[in-house]
Amino acid sequence: MQILKHKTNFDFIGKRKPAIFISTIINLAIIVGIAAAGFNLGVDFAGGTVVELKFNHSVSPTEVRERAQKGGLHDVSVQNIGSSDENAFLLRMGGVTQLTEENATKAKAAIQGLGTITNVYPDLANGIINFRSTTQLTPKAIRDAVVASGTGVQEVRDLGESSSGHGFDYQVVASGMADKVREVLSQGQETPDFEQRRVDYVGPQVGKQLRNRGIMALVYSMLAILIYVAFRFDFKFGPGALLAMVHDVVMVAGYYLVSRREFNLTSIAALLTIVGYSVNDTIVIYDRIREDMVKYKGKPLAEVINIAVNDTLGRTILTSGVTALSLIGLLIFGVGEIFDFAMAMLVGIIVGTYSSVYIASPLTIWLDERAAAKAARSGGIDRQQPNAA
Amino acid sequence: MDRGWWWKFGFIVAVTLGTIWFLIPTYYSLVVLDRDQRNNLAVLEQRLPAWAPPARYRLNLGLDLQGGIHMVMRVDTKTALQKRTERRGQQIASYVNDKKLGEVTADTDPEQLQLTLKAKDPATMDAIEKEVLATFTDFKRVSRDGATLVLSPDEGQTNRFREEAVDQAMLVIRRRIDKWGVAEVDVRKLGTDSIQISLPGRSNPEQAKELVGTTAQLEFRMVDDTNPQFFAQMLQQTPPPEGSNITLTQEGGFPQLSSPSREALLAYVKDKTPEGREVLTECIANPVKKNECSAYRSFLVEKNVPLTGESLAGADASLGSLNEPEVNLAFDAQGAREFEKLTEAGVGRRMAIVLDENVHTAPNINEKIGGGRARITMGRMGARSFEEWLGEAQTLALVLKAGALPAPVTVGEIRQVGASLGDELIKKGSLAALVGLALVVVFMAIYYRKSGLIADVALLLNGLLILAGLAFFNATLTLPGIAGFVLTLGIAVDANVLINERIREELSHGKSARAAVDQGYDRAFWTIFDAHVTTLIAGFILFFTGTGPVRGFATTLIVGLLASLFTSIVVTRVITTYFVHGRNAQRVSV
Repeated sequence: MQILKHKTNFDFIGKRKPAIFISTIINLAIIVGIAAAGFNLGVDFAGGTVVELKFNHSVSPTEVRERAQKGGLHDVSVQNIGSSDENAFLLRMGGVTQLTEENATKAKAAIQGLGTITNVYPDLANGIINFRSTTQLTPKAIRDAVVASGTGVQEVRDLGESSSGHGFDYQVVASGMADKVREVLSQGQETPDFEQRRVDYVGPQVGKQLRNRGIMALVYSMLAILIYVAFRFDFKFGPGALLAMVHDVVMVAGYYLVSRREFNLTSIAALLTIVGYSVNDTIVIYDRIREDMVKYKGKPLAEVINIAVNDTLGRTILTSGVTALSLIGLLIFGVGEIFDFAMAMLVGIIVGTYSSVYIASPLTIWLDERAAAKAARSGGIDRQQPNAA
Repeated sequence: MDRGWWWKFGFIVAVTLGTIWFLIPTYYSLVVLDRDQRNNLAVLEQRLPAWAPPARYRLNLGLDLQGGIHMVMRVDTKTALQKRTERRGQQIASYVNDKKLGEVTADTDPEQLQLTLKAKDPATMDAIEKEVLATFTDFKRVSRDGATLVLSPDEGQTNRFREEAVDQAMLVIRRRIDKWGVAEVDVRKLGTDSIQISLPGRSNPEQAKELVGTTAQLEFRMVDDTNPQFFAQMLQQTPPPEGSNITLTQEGGFPQLSSPSREALLAYVKDKTPEGREVLTECIANPVKKNECSAYRSFLVEKNVPLTGESLAGADASLGSLNEPEVNLAFDAQGAREFEKLTEAGVGRRMAIVLDENVHTAPNINEKIGGGRARITMGRMGARSFEEWLGEAQTLALVLKAGALPAPVTVGEIRQVGASLGDELIKKGSLAALVGLALVVVFMAIYYRKSGLIADVALLLNGLLILAGLAFFNATLTLPGIAGFVLTLGIAVDANVLINERIREELSHGKSARAAVDQGYDRAFWTIFDAHVTTLIAGFILFFTGTGPVRGFATTLIVGLLASLFTSIVVTRVITTYFVHGRNAQRVSV
């Protein structure tokens, strides 16, 4: 059996200009879209809390939301996951701790009622209130006062007497949102009618850290692969491979942008794998170009590349097909992140195949042409006539 | 077939058998054992046949697949360092005043972690600067402007302090989790200032957070030394159970029980403790791995808790009259009265300072202590360096003041997965992997016929090798890991597509079956190699930057790619060669 019965002879090189033009437009549109609308960032990067609940009877998302709002959780989004008879929901809360602006004002007032208090400043992002008291207070009294004002307290830290002798420093750490979800939703029930199946909580600083690390990982791996390609092949091949990589990563990022699927750590893993895969595909064709350059010495580079791309076309399609085939199981049975991962990989495989043929290969010619033109301008020997394009 | 072929063939058979043998512990832990025993290595070891590999080489399931809690705690070393710099500033100021060098005030800038000394009389500053820099070597000069001198703490010192704070926090967290009795906990450092905690099988994140994050209970309790031979006699009357490793030690003048296992020690003394008394343990820190306990020692203390940390107003480390480190305690008014009463009644006895039910230290009461101020001297210097000795006093002071954690700890990340969800994910994940695998296998067999079947054999071996490889490296299988597994199978089969396409091409050029196969493999080798290496680069970067489940994905990808290099190139070639060379076939089925 064969996918391509006869040897193909498509003129890929001739169509490189429209292909590169369209790709550039789409890429730019995606980058503008990311800058303007941004990703639907998951808790991994944005910080926040996600709770997955499974009820033991049928409920609608509206009911769940109403129950949460009645208990004082206003900023909650409720989403049904799985089939509707599973009664499973994802609850997302943007705030990381219970210290909302409203709560912080109340807590501040409560603390000021404890004595002569100076320098109360709530740090909403981290859910911490720092303050100084002229008299010594017990952690228990502080905790009771703040809890009574409506904010759950994880810990009260006694930081000791300030060294300048003006008072005693304390720090109140508010409880996380996840603690409140269970409490609020099970209000008035002896045993909760739901099971808390999953909690993801990421603090704001960790979120930022994870995001930076993810971006650095992408940049490092592209650089490392580029160095490898330059080392194994010719420098000429480097830019083509790099641009194809960037193209594929941007396209897959576009998938996350347009589909509004959650962008999280697994998405970074998908992007990194696509970086590897994209080069993998490109290298197979480069390998053949290199081989054919020796074989068809004297022929213009453009023609050699066309032959190489056509010769490997069958395998290029097959490979992508087989890898895509292995993802089908994940697409059918995968839930949540894993479905997104498989989908992103599928997009990556398709654009990766396209970019190897239409972007990575023609770009080597472009570099060659430039080099030749430069040589001609500086009066060098016109050794190889680039293909008229 | 030539000799070289037989060698290769034998090697492949050996690898295959070895792989299957190596997966026996995994099979037992996931299929034979009940799910609540999955993590119990001792039970697994018992059930395994004698010829099987050791139980620790079983494939771990990630927390997302078996349920449990993953937490990252951030140690806020900045706040602790700030306080420390502030304290040092006051010490420097009073030193300068004591030495009659002049009069200075010390101020700290919390953002920059800098200390600003201002002299009342600018003329004295030159002498002060010289003296301060010579005496307080843990500070460096940043700038000097007339009467103002800016200092910053020495970087080596602050780094050491930071490291100590994280180590200390880890030790405290480990002790608290020990108290909870969770098997298979994993506490490790993450980066410079974070601690990662894995609690398999636990489902209540609030409880976990409370356990590791909140201030510990500090208690002052009297040690019962009325019968100094209490533990010695106990050991004589009832020999400890076999394997508990309980021994008698004499350090500090009183015989104590010592054991590497806290549980074993407490279980042994459980019914042998008199009314109104309790046995508590002290953790002897491992000299190499400072955040682990190498042994636990027993103390007989009174159940009555006369004084708690709530009455403690402050604690500070300083040098005593004989230049030995000591910790000064200050109590509030009520605590001072309580403490005076306690020490009056207890002269000559020991008082245990108990943190989280662990005895931290048990100093002797030398005299009645009034006025709410007490001093704990740090014992003999022994084999320690002076710095270590002083460091111990500083740590104790911090521990007393901050309630066990030398630096505040905040929760950076919590991920909890319920056991039922984990089970569901395993089911769905393995089904997805099997469907993907089956589709690829069928496709290859149809498209390449016999060569496709050979590639399928290699693919199955590849799957087994990935699982065995993960087990060998003690890696964990996570949900993204399963995705990585599937993806790697795709990449592995891609190598065979490359080879087979090449063989077809060579055949179409009119080459003989033998030549086509040889050329196909030779020509495709470097292509496959390059393709694998580039994906490996991405995998390694993901491994070193990722955490948790993502790291599981990277591990699977790396192991899978390495296995794929072997199976898709070496294994298929040996089998194909058998069909082409061995039988002198003129045709090759691709």
